[in-house]
This record gives sequence, structure tokens and C-alpha cells, in this order.
Amino acid sequence: MPDDVRVSINSESDVVTARQAGRQLAAAAGFSSTDQTLIATAISEIARNIIVYAHRGEMIVSQLQRQSRRGIRVVGRDQGPGIENTELALSDGYSTANSLGMGLPGARRLMDEFNLSSSLGIGTTVTMIKWAR
Amino acid sequence: MAAQQGQVFLDELEIDEAEVDRRKEFLEFGPADEEALETLNELARKYADPVIEDLYRHFLAFDETKAFFRDPRVLTRVKGLQKEYFLRLTQGDYGADYVANRLRIGTVHESINLAPKWYLGGYNFYLRAVASRVFEAFGKTPEKALSVFQSLMKLVFMDIGLAVDTYIFARESTMRKQQEAIQELSTPVLQIRERLLLLPIIGIIDSQRARLITESLLQAIRANRAKVVVMDITGVGTIDSKVANHLIQTVSAAKLMGASVIVTGLSAEVAQALVSLGIALEKLNTVGDLQGGIEEAERLLGYRVSRLPAPASDTRSA
Amino acid sequence: MRVPILKQGDVLIASIQAALSDQELLNFREALAEQVGAYRARGVVIDVTALDVLDSFATRTLRDVAHAARLRGAKTVVVGIQPEVAFAMVQLGLALESVPTALDLEEGMALLTSGRTGDGGDAG
Repeated sequence: MPDDVRVSINSESDVVTARQAGRQLAAAAGFSSTDQTLIATAISEIARNIIVYAHRGEMIVSQLQRQSRRGIRVVGRDQGPGIENTELALSDGYSTANSLGMGLPGARRLMDEFNLSSSLGIGTTVTMIKWAR
Repeated sequence: MAAQQGQVFLDELEIDEAEVDRRKEFLEFGPADEEALETLNELARKYADPVIEDLYRHFLAFDETKAFFRDPRVLTRVKGLQKEYFLRLTQGDYGADYVANRLRIGTVHESINLAPKWYLGGYNFYLRAVASRVFEAFGKTPEKALSVFQSLMKLVFMDIGLAVDTYIFARESTMRKQQEAIQELSTPVLQIRERLLLLPIIGIIDSQRARLITESLLQAIRANRAKVVVMDITGVGTIDSKVANHLIQTVSAAKLMGASVIVTGLSAEVAQALVSLGIALEKLNTVGDLQGGIEEAERLLGYRVSRLPAPASDTRSA
Repeated sequence: MRVPILKQGDVLIASIQAALSDQELLNFREALAEQVGAYRARGVVIDVTALDVLDSFATRTLRDVAHAARLRGAKTVVVGIQPEVAFAMVQLGLALESVPTALDLEEGMALLTSGRTGDGGDAG
């Protein structure tokens, strides 16, 4: 089992590929079935954002080991238009992810660590980590 | 095999090479100290036995520590191990294996319930005994004696630090296991009729527990093909907005699986408080008490419960 | 990959296979709306048992399908959401709102034929 998997996101069928890869890696790292689903769902949201807003990018899913803890790190990267107001993009509270929203706050709730960095005209990178319980 | 076990200790306590180096840095323990200690080895071998004898005489003079050595065979064995331990201090090579060895020893001490105060006191006795012998041996050059002794102190304090870490780790492990056991006991989902589940929640709900409860409930809904769940929160400690949101999420998830949830045990005061916090309680189907909730659930499932008439032949009277 | 749609009385039953792409989901929405019209179906059961993830897009599509079906006179029930998927959905903040859900096909059919869709209230 490789330590990381790279999936190019060029079309929406790649969203499924990315989340299946994420699920497999999470399973190999010993995550529970529920957590595998959470990770796959978070990947789906981020990969979809890439398609919708940047049209293409990549997702890298890797196994992590921090001392005695195993984890999965998901990085979604694109060179799209960037997010103007990252705080706003992350500030959804508990409301439903509707068609206007980017699903970022939702994805953040599914994972343990979450980082969003974006520059207008340059691109966006989302980094998320989930630790095995 | 020993190396593997050592690695397990290092991993569990999260003490890796970088961490050990950092501790040595902080203690200012370096190659010069290692060399100094190795020069002490010959002297150490000479004083090992008398120092051990003095140390154990000290242990046996106190009831609390004497209690560990009721069996003379144990005493002999432990003295032997102790001697090895002390000699190891002056044998150089204080790397991963050394650390793993020290952690193992600390774990043994913790497992026999040797309280830190006796462990530290014993170590102190040893250091004093060694100090006088070292200064005696270096007679004419007390600066050298001091320098060597300081190197020994640095290493000994690293050892004590590791032993204390194992104590703390062991205590925390126990607590964590107890927590897990309690959590398992505390999320029962009971089938009280066909298609009807009862979920009594008692105690404090944090996000970890809320997640466990939700997962158990959802699995039970599938396994029992439940259509109605009575979730009783009479025994839940504080119900603040966070807890309320956890409960609402549980209800929403159950609904996605086609099960409706009746929440019982939500007092009027708590309900008021939550509504004023802006929690959308109207999404919840609440009934005051458990009995009422179960009756409502039975009604939803199409049951009608009626009391049988008293048997006619019972003509006993007061 | 097309989504198989079966007819049972005046109910259409659609089983969504795992790993349906976005375009396939959209195709399904069109196909189902068409079939509801063509067969004058009164009910639709969408079985998502095989789906291991229901993200925001899939959820929106399901809502859209139900809406399209309702416009054509049919009630929709979504069945078969798995425990982990339900859990992920609420964590993500997704809801099917006005689309009723049931445990499985059997329950979904029962819900449609009893006429109790949409409000989960008393049987009366």
C-alpha cells in the first residue's frame, strides 16, 4: 500500500476516483468504517469545489504518522481564481450546505484539522487531516 | 525482541530520538559527560556491592519499603538487577536502547505500586552514597570529582525524568481504559418492541460521546429495522446549546434512516432556555416523560395498549 | 451507466448504483422525470443503499429529482441511507428536508401506499 495517492481532478468523474482512493488509504491505515466515510465525503466536497471553481487541480491523499498516531492527510490544490474572503467561506456555522456555499465549513466539521489558504488569481489549497481514534 | 519491546515503549510514550536529544540538551549532557562517566566505570564496579548493601539496608529499615521484599529470593534478585542498573550508568552509549531500558524499568516500578516518593528517596540515597565514594577516590583533585559527579547527576536526572514519564503514562492509560469502559456501558440501545428502540442517555455528553451514541443508534436502527426511537434525556447532565445540537443531529441522522425520534425527559425549563438560545426545538418531537413517550411511540406504530378486566373469580375483599 | 428504473404498479423504483458520476446523476434526474410523466406514476422510490457517500451535490440532486417528480404528480421517498452515510450527512449539515426517507424498499413502498408521505404526522 503506497503512502500517498495523487489524483488529478480534471472532470467530475475524478471526484469519485479521489474519494475512493481516500477511502482505500483510510481503510489501510486502520480507520473505522464511519471515519472512512467521513474522509471520503470531505474529499468529495473539496474535489467538487476544484471542478466547479477552478476546473482542474489535484488531490493528494497521504498516510501520516505523528509519533504513535496514524492519520490521513488530504490536500486539495488548484490554480483557479482563488477565494476572496476565506473567513467568509469558512463561516457557515451549522446551516445546510446549499448551492451557493462551497461546502468548506462542512468538510471542516468532518475532519480533525483543516487549513485553507488562497490567493486571488493564484489558487487555493485546502489541507485536512483526520486522526485514527 | 528486546529492541522491539523498547520501540513499543518509545512509541507509546512519544519519546523519539529527537525528544531524547532535546532532554540531553536541556540537561547539558554531551559527549564530554559520556566520557567522564565511562572513566567512572572501574570505580563503580568496585563500590557497587557495598553501595547496594547500604541502599537495601535503608529500604529494609522502613516498613513501607520493606514490604516489597518479604520474600528473600525477591530481595536477592532485585539486588542483582539494581547492581546492573547502577553499573549501566557508567557504561556509555546512552541512546535509544538505553532509554528503552530505563522506560521498561520505570514501568516495572509503577506496576508494583512503588510510589514516586520511595523511588526518588531511594535514588537520592544512592547519589549520596556514590558522592562520598567519588570524592574519596579523587582525593587530591576535588574539581575532577565534582565534574564527574555532575555528569552522573545529569544522567540520573534524565533517568528519573523517564521513570516519572512512565508513571504518568501508566496512570493516564488506566484512566483512559476506564473511560472507554464507561462509555461502552453508557450507550445502550434497547429494543422494547418490534420496530421500537429505547435510547436512555445518562451523564455528560461531549462530542466524542455524542458521536458514539449516534453511531450506535444508527446501527441499531438498521439491525432492528426500527421505525421509532424514544430517546430519553432525563439523566443527561447539563443541556447547553452544544449538547442540544448534538441531540438534534442524532435525531436528524435517525430521520434520514426513516426512523422518527421522540425525545422524552426534556424539562420545560430546559426547553425554555434552549429556545431562548435560538435552538430550533420545534424540529424535535418531545414528550414530557418516558411513559408518555413510549405510549406515543406505540401509537405511531399502530399499537393500542389496553388493560385487561380484572379476573371475575377474584372475590377477595378486605 | 444508467440507473435502472423499474415499474411496480404506479410506483417507479430506481436503484442508484455506487460511484455514480455527477453527469450520470443528472442524466438520472432527467430520465426519472420523463418516466414519471410517461407512466403517470404516483410514487417514486429512490434506493441509495449502494451509495457509500452522499455529498452535497448528490443530496441536492436527490432533492431536485423529488421536486421534479412532485411537479409531475408523484411523491418521492428516498430509502437505504446507510448509518455511516447518515452520520456524515448530518455532520456536513446536509438534509433532505421535505423529501421523506425510509429504511429500505419495503418501508418506502409502505410509506407511499399508506399516503403518509411528506409530513410524518399522525396516521389519522
